[in-house]
Amino acid sequence: MSNGVHEIEDAKLLFVFGYNGADSHPIVARRIVRAKRKGAQIICVDPRRIETARIADLHLQLKNGSNLALVNAIAHVIIEEGLTDDKFIAEHSHGFDEFKDLCQKYSPEAVSEITQIHPDDIRKAARMYATSGQSMILYGMGVCQFAQAVNVVKGLANLAIMTGNFGRWGVGIGPVRGQNNVQGACDMGALPNAYPGYQNVTVPEIQAKFEKAWGVPLSNKVGIPLTQVPHYVLHEPPEKKIRAYYVFGEDPAQSDPDLAEVRESLESLELVILQDIFMNRTGQYADVVLPSTGWNEHDGVYSCCDRGFQRIRKVIEPPADADVLTDWEIISRISTAMGYPMKYHNTEEIWNEVIALCPSFVGATYEKLEKYGNIQWPCRSTDMSDRGTSFLHKDGKFANPDGKAKFSSIDWQPPTELENSEYPLIFSTFREVGHYSARTMTGNCRLLRNLEDEPGWIWMHPDLCQELGVKHGELVKAISKRGFCLARCLPTDRVKKQAVYMSYQWWVGACNELTIAALDPISNTPEYKYCACRVEKIKNQLWAEKYVREEYAKIRQSMGIDNKKGGKAA
Amino acid sequence: MPIKEVQTTCAYCGAGCQILFTVDPDQNKILEARPAHGRTNEGTLCLKGHYGWDYINDPQILTKRLKKPLIRRGGKGASLEEASWDEAINYVATRLTDIKKQHGPDSIMCTGSARGPGNEANYIMQKFARAAIGTNNVDHCARI
Amino acid sequence: MNGFVQGDPLLCIGCRTCAIACVVAHEGKRIFEIDPDGYDFHPRLKIVKTWAVSVPVQCKHCENPACQAVCRSEAITRIDGKVLVDREKCIGCKSCVEACPFGAVNMAPLGFERNPDGSNRSVAHKCDLCHELDGGPACQRVCPTEALRLVEREDLERILFTKRQAVLVAASSPELSRPNFF
Repeated sequence: MSNGVHEIEDAKLLFVFGYNGADSHPIVARRIVRAKRKGAQIICVDPRRIETARIADLHLQLKNGSNLALVNAIAHVIIEEGLTDDKFIAEHSHGFDEFKDLCQKYSPEAVSEITQIHPDDIRKAARMYATSGQSMILYGMGVCQFAQAVNVVKGLANLAIMTGNFGRWGVGIGPVRGQNNVQGACDMGALPNAYPGYQNVTVPEIQAKFEKAWGVPLSNKVGIPLTQVPHYVLHEPPEKKIRAYYVFGEDPAQSDPDLAEVRESLESLELVILQDIFMNRTGQYADVVLPSTGWNEHDGVYSCCDRGFQRIRKVIEPPADADVLTDWEIISRISTAMGYPMKYHNTEEIWNEVIALCPSFVGATYEKLEKYGNIQWPCRSTDMSDRGTSFLHKDGKFANPDGKAKFSSIDWQPPTELENSEYPLIFSTFREVGHYSARTMTGNCRLLRNLEDEPGWIWMHPDLCQELGVKHGELVKAISKRGFCLARCLPTDRVKKQAVYMSYQWWVGACNELTIAALDPISNTPEYKYCACRVEKIKNQLWAEKYVREEYAKIRQSMGIDNKKGGKAA
Repeated sequence: MPIKEVQTTCAYCGAGCQILFTVDPDQNKILEARPAHGRTNEGTLCLKGHYGWDYINDPQILTKRLKKPLIRRGGKGASLEEASWDEAINYVATRLTDIKKQHGPDSIMCTGSARGPGNEANYIMQKFARAAIGTNNVDHCARI
Repeated sequence: MNGFVQGDPLLCIGCRTCAIACVVAHEGKRIFEIDPDGYDFHPRLKIVKTWAVSVPVQCKHCENPACQAVCRSEAITRIDGKVLVDREKCIGCKSCVEACPFGAVNMAPLGFERNPDGSNRSVAHKCDLCHELDGGPACQRVCPTEALRLVEREDLERILFTKRQAVLVAASSPELSRPNFF
């Protein structure tokens, strides 16, 4: 995020695009709600009537998959009505003329049908955003989980640049990062193209620096993104194939798209290593399983969504009968056994090594974290007075070589798999507030499980329910070209008739059986938010209930659970 | 030992809320979770922050806590069997070294983790992939 | 005047932290110890979501409770400004469930832990403002957006005062004043 979470409530206008704070980050949603109380205006762009849409001044209930068409249309209006911050554009950016040309064809009238939004509302949104004086964009998976994702982010950034909404308190653009430490994993260079601190692996000086620090030659070839692993296992020629997969703290067999392909690739791999705290779906394919310590059992640092480093501390010991080690200890031992010795005594030692190598993190020492609780990088000085940086791009400085922001001129593209006669509905995914991700942790929390359990709900418009003759709570079958799953019907007018939605947490209601692995060419994020499906009524509900219970029991048994205790499908 | 209180950061979403846990060290149990003050959460928590900690007591609702290293000694399709750490570490090191020798470092893929392990563990994993194995094939679910 | 917990739909984000807090407050820490399948989960408030509104619905502790009026077994009484159900006395006739105009009364098994043969009888179950529990209503304490508020007489007075003031300010604005005729 370019600005801090605490700045959200001070914005005069929040442009919430494809982001559902209430279910993903209730504590960030709190800031949105407080902003409204303080008099901010809210524009919410989402195909569902999410909580933010309910309190928004303007809800643009766009058709799924039309993001960039809408964004470019908003830019068109801002340009047409002379609402641009010309000074900011002239001093801090380039590429605007080309962008202006592109926007000409994106009049609100031209995109109204694709986006299913009335042109007047598009104009209203553009005016509100451009004239508030302090507008902040918040975006989430509704932008990122499409085959055209990075370009939409650039499109949103265009809006912020052309209206001068960068480099001050309460403005900017923020992907509100989902997981507790996804920001941290990126910060630490668990990326195929970057070392820790976002230093590119292809830059010779950077490579030399790390070679010196680590004492070995390093590769400058950009690595393979996670979402392409099935392809590299199954479809590449022998000299390029991936043969071994070392997975830690993740569950690709649950969370990746097109689960049938993921399973096939896991079965084909010569070696699958799983390092985790609980048995999970990926573990069923592992050749070796390494048990590690969980949250509350080890020290360290997390990076929250707005670049804030914060300490985690050991709260309890692992169970007395558990022979587990911390993740870094396990990896260090394996490394040493492979001939590259790694030995650390504690996490502070590792952290000091990290920050010494990253100019943006250098000042974020454990000492400062103890004292201040939270340091937002960049923190470039070890001086105690440098407490980090709340917002980026101050004085209009951007991270490009010329210090200026760049306008990106890109046309809208429709999603990869459109509805057709066999699969006439749009299938999309969302988060469930009471569970987290693949439920490795929350699935084992009693009260959270009491609120929501297998097989999950599928949100359907009441008219669609009536057409299919299904009612609330009835089990239905959702099918796509790739697979199917069962879920309970939830009739709701918070969605449009053309689309159905499920959350991705469930095993029996495993919606990733349906999703498509169409990747954004730059970010390689899959298009979870759009594929074609149909929903079928299941006449024999007794059979369906039995199926769900039996499938659940089967999976739990394969996880080593005694089925006589501990849980049932609801 | 007396009951103690430890403050830490929540491991669920990216809001980074601060939680204060009350712990009984003798019983090695978490007794309670209360909101603590943090820059982002200002003393509030959501349902996961308040009640998402009892998995650590291994209630075996969905899956079982992994307590020992396991190896599928009989190969694919066989069951996982308990092993010692020495055996498991050697098994992994030997097999990875073999695959690296036969097919090159780029035939190995590692993941980072966006969840519980933390920054230091991620740093070590990418250092392992790059320095010990010799590949940049490291990624995590940020793009999922 | 009886107090009651009120939800503000402009602040509620439908997260249901309140529902869990309700159960934990009433059943206590043992919930984290017992067999996860050995109990029933019945919060005393229900989060309702419509197109325009998300908000918990719970007992309003009416001054002249419909539930009390129809109760056959004198199980519903007013104590300390709260409308309470004596669950042991309740015969489970469900008249109160039908009578409540807010849908705030539900039926839930008596006894937290389930009998092995599943034979717990169901009785009336509703918000009791965390009567005799420390700290007051648990739901309003945990709500991350402060959407839930315990409204008591003083709060009501304050709300009325603010509304009356606003009306007078609007009435005294120049646009609404009568024109002078000369």
